[in-house]
Amino acid sequence: MTAASKLLALTSNIERIIRGKPQEIKYVITALIARGHILLEDNPGAGKTVLAKTLAQSISEAATDFHAPSGGVSFKRVQFTPDLLPMDLIGSYIFDESKKDFVFKRGPLFTHVLLADEINRASPKVQSALLECMAENQISSGDTTFELDPFFFTIATQNPIEMEGTYPLPAAQLDRFFMKISMGYVTEEVEFDIYTNYLEIGDSKHTVKQVLAYQDIINLQKEAEKVHIHQELVRGIVRLVQSTRHHPEIALGCSTRGGITFIKCLKAWALVNQRDFVIEDDIKALAQPVLHHRLIFRNREAAQTVLGKLTDAEVNRLAKMGINNKA
Amino acid sequence: MERKEKFEQLVVRWILVVLPTLLIGVYTIRALNFSYTALTTSLISQSLWFSLGLFVAYTLYYYRARWIVTLVLLWVAYALGERIISRLPGEFDVFYTTARFQLYSTLFLFGWGFGLLLAKIRWSYILIFGVLVVATLVIAADTIDLSIEYLLVNLFPVLIYGLYMYFLSPLLRDRIEISWKQSGRLVLRLAGFLLVILLAFVITDRLLRGTVKAVEKELAARGAKGDKEGKGGEGQDKKDDYDDRYGLMDHDDDGFRLKDTMKVNTRMSQSDRLMFCAKLDNYFDNGDPQPLYFVYHYLTRYDPVKESFTRDVNVPSSDEFEVDPAELPMYYSYMDTSIIRKAKGPRLRKIVNAQVYLSADAWKHAVLGPANVFSIQTIPVEKDFQKQFLSAYRTQSYVSELNNAYFVYNVSASPMLEGFQEQRHEELREVIDYRGVDPAFYEYYTRQPTGGIYDSISKLAHSLAPKHVKPIDKVLAVRDFFLRRNENGKRIFRYTLKPGRMDDPNIPSSKMLYDFLFKTHAGYCTYYAGASLFMLRALGIPARFTTGFATVNRSDKNKGWYWFYASQAHAWTQVYFPEYGWLDFDMTIGNEDQQSAPKPDGTPPLPPPDPWLVLDAKAESLDLPAKRITVSFQSLLYLEKPYLLKNPLTRPIDVSMCRVLLNKKDTTLAVLQPGDSIIVVSYKDEAREIPVLRKGAPIDPQVAAFPSPIIADEIHIRRPEEKKKEPEKEGNSLLDEEKKKKITFEEIAWMVAKGLAGIAVLLLLAPLLYLVYRIIRQALARGTSRADEVYRSALYRLHMAGLERESETPLEYARRMVDPQLQAGFESFMLTYLRLKYSGQPMRPEDREIVDRLANTLGSSIRRKTGIAGGILNYFNLLRALRYFQQPISSPEPETHAL
Repeated sequence: MTAASKLLALTSNIERIIRGKPQEIKYVITALIARGHILLEDNPGAGKTVLAKTLAQSISEAATDFHAPSGGVSFKRVQFTPDLLPMDLIGSYIFDESKKDFVFKRGPLFTHVLLADEINRASPKVQSALLECMAENQISSGDTTFELDPFFFTIATQNPIEMEGTYPLPAAQLDRFFMKISMGYVTEEVEFDIYTNYLEIGDSKHTVKQVLAYQDIINLQKEAEKVHIHQELVRGIVRLVQSTRHHPEIALGCSTRGGITFIKCLKAWALVNQRDFVIEDDIKALAQPVLHHRLIFRNREAAQTVLGKLTDAEVNRLAKMGINNKA
Repeated sequence: MERKEKFEQLVVRWILVVLPTLLIGVYTIRALNFSYTALTTSLISQSLWFSLGLFVAYTLYYYRARWIVTLVLLWVAYALGERIISRLPGEFDVFYTTARFQLYSTLFLFGWGFGLLLAKIRWSYILIFGVLVVATLVIAADTIDLSIEYLLVNLFPVLIYGLYMYFLSPLLRDRIEISWKQSGRLVLRLAGFLLVILLAFVITDRLLRGTVKAVEKELAARGAKGDKEGKGGEGQDKKDDYDDRYGLMDHDDDGFRLKDTMKVNTRMSQSDRLMFCAKLDNYFDNGDPQPLYFVYHYLTRYDPVKESFTRDVNVPSSDEFEVDPAELPMYYSYMDTSIIRKAKGPRLRKIVNAQVYLSADAWKHAVLGPANVFSIQTIPVEKDFQKQFLSAYRTQSYVSELNNAYFVYNVSASPMLEGFQEQRHEELREVIDYRGVDPAFYEYYTRQPTGGIYDSISKLAHSLAPKHVKPIDKVLAVRDFFLRRNENGKRIFRYTLKPGRMDDPNIPSSKMLYDFLFKTHAGYCTYYAGASLFMLRALGIPARFTTGFATVNRSDKNKGWYWFYASQAHAWTQVYFPEYGWLDFDMTIGNEDQQSAPKPDGTPPLPPPDPWLVLDAKAESLDLPAKRITVSFQSLLYLEKPYLLKNPLTRPIDVSMCRVLLNKKDTTLAVLQPGDSIIVVSYKDEAREIPVLRKGAPIDPQVAAFPSPIIADEIHIRRPEEKKKEPEKEGNSLLDEEKKKKITFEEIAWMVAKGLAGIAVLLLLAPLLYLVYRIIRQALARGTSRADEVYRSALYRLHMAGLERESETPLEYARRMVDPQLQAGFESFMLTYLRLKYSGQPMRPEDREIVDRLANTLGSSIRRKTGIAGGILNYFNLLRALRYFQQPISSPEPETHAL
C-alpha cells in the first residue's frame, strides 16, 4: 500500500463514522502525521470524543506493549476537573506486596491516543504536566523518567462557553498544540443522515474497522518529512510569520517555533491531500488552524479578520509569482 | 521620560504647525508691506516680532500656561512699554518710536493670538485661515487693475496653508508617531495633495478664463459707468445698442473716438457713456463760465467718391495738434511750436487752460481741448477717481475772444448771451473780404465738388445771400436759413437722430443731404454741418468740418467743470476770418423734442499736487522690504522746467510713502522690477529748503543739492502693453518672446487636451492591449515558462470574462468558479501547474499536453459563455481590469473551520 492509499483508507474509514467533516478529519490526521497534538475547541456533543476514538480504533496495534481495548492503538480518555492531580494522569508508586517494593502504577497518559477532555477546567499544575509530556514525549515522576511511545498523540478539547472555574491555557502552552480547530455543527442533511444511520445500526462503536497498523502511521510520519516544500513557499511563510509580528492589530506575533510547526503541518497536510509537495493552497488552508491560536490580537474584530487578510495577501503574492520565480 | 516625550511632541508641532503658520504669516506681512507703505520698518524686524509672539505663545500654551494670567502680563508689558516710550525726549523720535512700538506690538499680538489659537483650539486654523484670507483680500482690493488671476495667485499660498492645516488637524489630536516611515508617508500625502490642488487650479484657470475675462470686462464697464445710472435697464440697453456704423464714433480696445471720416447717414446711434470731464478756465467778465466746444479733429476735405468728410494730410498750414498723450511721460509736457507759429488770427486772442480727465471708455490717445491746443502736460488721476478716469492731462490753447459755444445753441437763453452774439457779429463785420489770404489756403478751404446736387446746393446758398455782403452776414444768412419758420411760426428744420427712411439704407449719402435741404428738413449734426459747409464754401467763405464734443453747462455747482457723454459727440463748422482765425459756427438746430433729462455732472477730480521734481528714470536695484530703490536718470523736470543732464546720475529713492501706478493704474510696489522705466514724482512741499535755481544757471550743481534719498510721492511704471505693438517690428525681442509665449500657451492647452484624450483612449484600450501582450508572451514561451504564461493569460481572461477571483487561491477558484461554469479543465491545469511550480519536479509530456489543451480550449470555453461581442466588450470594463491588478480583498466573514 502506498502512503496515499493508506491515508485514503484512514480518512474514509473515519469519515464513515464522522459525517460531513472531511476538513476537520484531515486536520486531525495532519496533526497526527506531523507528530503534533491538536486542540479542539467546541461545544459538548460535537463529536470530539468519537473522532478521537475512531482514529485510535482505525489503527491496529502491533509491536507495542500497551493494552488496547479493541485491538487498535491504545486510547485513553481523561475528563479534566479542577480537583484532578498530576498523579492521576501520570500514575503513582504503590506498594506491591508480592515484590515488597514500590512499583509504578502507570496513569492514563501511558497511551497512544489521549483524549484530554475539557483541558481548561484542570488546574495549571495538571495542565503543565500534560503539556510537558506532549512537548518532551516523556513523563517524570519522582526521580524516574519514563519515555513515552513516539506515537503519543493528544486530542485536547476545551469548552468555549463555560468560563467559570476554568483556567484558560496560557499562550506558551497553547503554542504546544500544533493546531487548534473547531468542529462546528454539521449541515441539516448530514445530521439527518447521522440520525438515520444510528437508528438503523445502533451504536457505531463496534463497527470501526482497523485499517492501518501502528507501523503504518510511523511510516507516514517519516513520509511526511520527505514532502518537498519549495524555497519560495518557505520565503512566503517567513514573510507571513514576519508580517504577524509587525501588524499594528497584533499584540504578539508568531514565534519561530510556530513557523517551524507550520512547515511541519504543511508537509503533513500535503501528504494527507495526496501530494508529495506543498502548494500555496496549503498555506491558506492551514494558516488559521496552525497560526491563529499563537497570536494575541488587540481586539475581537482584528482576531477575526487580520490573519485571513495577511494570508490572502501572501498567497496571492505567491499565486502571481511565476514558475521561474518571476514576480 | 514623559517630560522628554512631551518635548519631542512639541518639537514635532513646531515643525509641523508653527513653522508653516510662521511662513504664511511672514508672507502676508510681506504682501502688506508692498501695499501699505506706512509700515516704515523693515520686513525682517516685523517678521521677527510676529514670529516671536507666535513661537512663545504656542510653546507656553502647549505647556498649559494660564491664558488669563499670560494675557494680563502681556497687557501690563504693553502698558509699561507705552509709558516708557511716551517719556522719551524729542518730538520727532517720539512719533517714530511710538509708531514702531505700536506696529511691533500689534504684530507680536497677532503672532501671540495665532499661537494661542493653535495651541488651544483644534479647529483654530479655520479662524487663522479666515484672517489671512481677509488680509489678502484687503491687499488685493487696493490694486486697481484687479484681475481674478491676480487674486488667485495671491490667495494661493493661503489656500495651500488652509488645506495643509485641514489635512494636518486630525493628526494633532493625539501623539504624533515620530518615525521616518510616518513622516515619509506624510510628505507623500502632502505632495499628492499639492499636486491635486495645483491641477485643480490650472484646470479651473484654463476652463474659466473666458468667463472670468467676460466678468471682469463687465465689471470694468460697470465701474466706468458709475453707479448713478438712473434707470439701470434702459441705460444699459441704450449703451449696448451703440452701433459703430451709425454713430459719430467708432471704438477699439483703447476706447471710443470720433471717426476720421464722416458722412450723413440714415440714422444716428448714440450712447450714454461718460467720455471725459474737463475744467475749462474760460469765463465771462462777470465770472460766469463761458463754455467752448472741445475739438477733436478737423475733417478738412470732402471726398465726392465716398461722399464723406475726411481728414487730410496735405492741409495748408495745418494747426492741428498731434501728439499721443498716452505716450507722454507723467508730468512731462509737449508743446508744438509750429502751431504757435501757424495759429491764425492774432486779434482778440487769449490762452485758455483746460484739464481733461479721460474716462475708461474714451480713446486714450485723444487730445481734446478747445481750439487750438498747442501744449499738453500729462497729470496723474487722484486715487479715488481712478475707477472713473483712466488718464488726465492739461492743455493750453489759443482761443479767440469771439469764440464760444453759444452760437445757435441756446441762443435765446439770456439777454446777456444775445448781447454777446451781437457784439461778436459786429466785431466780425470788420472783415470785408478774403483778399489778403494766402490763395492756396483760400482755395483749399473753399474747394467743393460740382455738378448734380452740389450745384443745386450752391444755387441755394447763392439765393440766400447777396454777393456783396460781408462774410459774417453770409454766414448769418446760412444760419437764418436753418432757423426759418413756416407761416404757422413753426421751425422748418428739425433735429432728429433718424432722418433717413429705414427701409432704404442704400440711398447715397449726398442724396440724403440733398433731401435734407430740400425735402425732409430733418437731420442731426452731421447734416447741418455738412450742408452749411457746402453752402459756406459755395459762398466763398473758407470753412471746415469739425468734430469734437458739444460743451453743456448743466450746473453751477462746480464752475468751469463740464462733463462730456458720448451723446455729446458733435460735428459743426468752423469758419475762417482773417485776423480773427477759425471760429466755431454751429448751425445745428437744437433738439426741441429731446426728452432725455440732462445727465448728471459728477464730482470733479481733485487736481494733483505740483511736483518739484520729476525724474524720467530707470529702476536699477530694488530693496523693497527696506523701501529703497536706486534709479538712474538723465532727464528731469525741476520746478516744472525740463532739464537734460550731461551724464546720467544714480540716486537712491525712498519709496516708503509712495503711490505706485503701472500704466496709469494704481498698483503696489510688488510689481516694480529692476530695469523698469519709471517716472519718479516728488511733491513741492518736500523741497522747501532747496534753493530755487537762478535763470539760466546749470542744473547739475542743483541736482547735487537734492536730498538723498529723494522722497518719492508717486512712481509711474511704464511698461509697453503687448497688444498695441506690431510683432513684426524688429529689435523687439521681448515682445517677440511675449508673442511666442502666447502661442505656446494655446499650443500647450491643445497639447494637454490632446494628451488627455490620448491617455483616455489608451486607458480605454489598456485592458485589450494587456490581453494582446499576454497572448504574445504565451505564444512565444516554451517549456515551464509556457505553463506560466498560459496560467497568467488564463487568469486574466477569466477575470475579464466576469469570473473575478476574490480572496480564493487560484486552485480554489478553478474548482469553485471556473470549472463549474466553463468546464474548461482549469482545475487539472492548476494542479499540473502547481506541481510544476512547487514540486521541483521536471515537466512531463503529459503536463505539456494539459497546458496546451487549456491554451487551445480556453478561448472557446470563454466564448461559449460570453459570446464573441460580449467577450470583446468585457475588455472595456476598466473597473474590472483595475480590480485585476489590485490585491484581492479578503472576505470579511471569519473562516468557518477554525475559530
